[in-house]
Amino acid sequence: MKRTVPLMIVMVGGILMMVQYFIPHQYSQAVFTNYTQWAPIVGAFALILGVGSLTRVHSHKIRRKTKNWQYSWAVLIPLYGMPFLAIIWPQSLAGGMDSPSIFHFFFMHIQVPIQSTMFSLLAFYIASAAFRAFRAKSALATILLLAAVIVMIGQVPIGEIFGRWLPETGLWILRYPNLAAKRAIMLGVGFGILATNLKIIFGVERNWLGGAGK
Amino acid sequence: MSAVSKWEKMLNLDRRWIFLAIGIASIVPFLIGFGMPISTTAEVESIFDYVNGLDKDNAIFIGFDYAPGTQAENTPMGVAVLRHAFHNNVPVFITAYQPLGHGMALGALEYVTNPAIPGFYQSVSFEEWADLREAGITDKDELIASWESDGNALPEGAKGWVFEGRDFAMLGYAPVFSLVILGMTASIENQFPQDANGNPLIEMPMLREHKSLREVDLAFTTSGSSACRSWIVYGREKIGLPVAFGVTAVMATDYYPYIQSGQIIGQMGGLRGAAEYEVLLFENGITETTDKAFTGMDVQSAAHLLIILLIVMGNIAFFAGGFHKKTALKGRG
Repeated sequence: MKRTVPLMIVMVGGILMMVQYFIPHQYSQAVFTNYTQWAPIVGAFALILGVGSLTRVHSHKIRRKTKNWQYSWAVLIPLYGMPFLAIIWPQSLAGGMDSPSIFHFFFMHIQVPIQSTMFSLLAFYIASAAFRAFRAKSALATILLLAAVIVMIGQVPIGEIFGRWLPETGLWILRYPNLAAKRAIMLGVGFGILATNLKIIFGVERNWLGGAGK
Repeated sequence: MSAVSKWEKMLNLDRRWIFLAIGIASIVPFLIGFGMPISTTAEVESIFDYVNGLDKDNAIFIGFDYAPGTQAENTPMGVAVLRHAFHNNVPVFITAYQPLGHGMALGALEYVTNPAIPGFYQSVSFEEWADLREAGITDKDELIASWESDGNALPEGAKGWVFEGRDFAMLGYAPVFSLVILGMTASIENQFPQDANGNPLIEMPMLREHKSLREVDLAFTTSGSSACRSWIVYGREKIGLPVAFGVTAVMATDYYPYIQSGQIIGQMGGLRGAAEYEVLLFENGITETTDKAFTGMDVQSAAHLLIILLIVMGNIAFFAGGFHKKTALKGRG
């Protein structure tokens, strides 16, 4: 039962939505409208599962004092603190209801700088990795290296100092060889997605059920 | 033990020196500001031309579909298109594919309407012009005339008025956004009964004139992930919605097939793409100056040059030292 019901829901839902796409009848559209209203609501419930699971894992770590348990507080406090500020206490810093709220203030001055900093660190590591690992060891590696250098320098204004040919060659690489390779990959991935979806809809692929019903 | 050669010393350079060099290359151009000219590409010009051809009877979506990590690249794109739309009086629905994008969208809107930023647009909240709305005055030109006749004066330095519900609606984030896009092909209001500020969409003039994505003229998504593809799958392919991308530089290569196939109008790739749009805004008199993306290109020039220099140095040391014939460097065992 634990396996059959989910499999039936997926099969009926999947076939229904596939068929619906090609039928512009009012009943078909009504199904579609209902589905698009339900689906986000059902999806939102996944948040409850996620928050519950995260809370359980980290509260368990704190109780047991496992390694680095202190960091679990860094997860749990903002996890509950930010919704509290947004829903229960949406006042602004000045005390009124005008923006910016304290929630927005924390978002802009804690979360945004933290995430931006993490992403910015990439520049440092890319520079170090490029110095140590980007070698013209073979013909293919040399082609890759030359293409990377041309695109990198062609994408920035200083590239035009060396002549228009450099940015234009960079754009040519992006518009033709890159496009051809990407299209091949995308077609392959697309067919893979189609095959996997059909396998899931018809119950051939059941890994998504996890261990349910076993 | 044989002596360590100069080439090996060079290859084993302490990476902190590289970090320091990148730090300097990132900071100094900001302080000096070379202001090197930027030429524009067809991919960005096509977006600009398309938006430039729209007016108050049209409407666009701007999706802030990214997290703060990529805001340096994505935010200037959203800001540039938002300014362009406000300049042409094109109503803008603002959405976010993910919760963090909601904050990014708010930040961009605040930036464009901030009186401290040159060339700002003076925002009028939905409540403030309720009387005029109830009197049936919703046409932009009539609205401005009535609003100013009520004693409201455009602040000095402002480029114009933008009325919430007439010129923009901050819809924000909704869960499972790909399905929300799908749902908006039938009705925007069904997916967003209220905007992010709690205003009912049904009372908004821009919603009454553009009830679904079928009545919208462009979805511009600025994204740091594959979220932008949903606009193609559920917007472009289902109902023919014109779509344009603004994506990070590392992602830009992924989406050239969509340009060639005509599925997207154009694409801003990374900070360069945003800078090109800023240049187009400036050259066409829509803004009085370029903005952050243009300034950031000096930094990128310096950083790219430094990285290329490091690659060249690494290869010189590698081959001159004869390490291509060996399996490992001495210094690394």
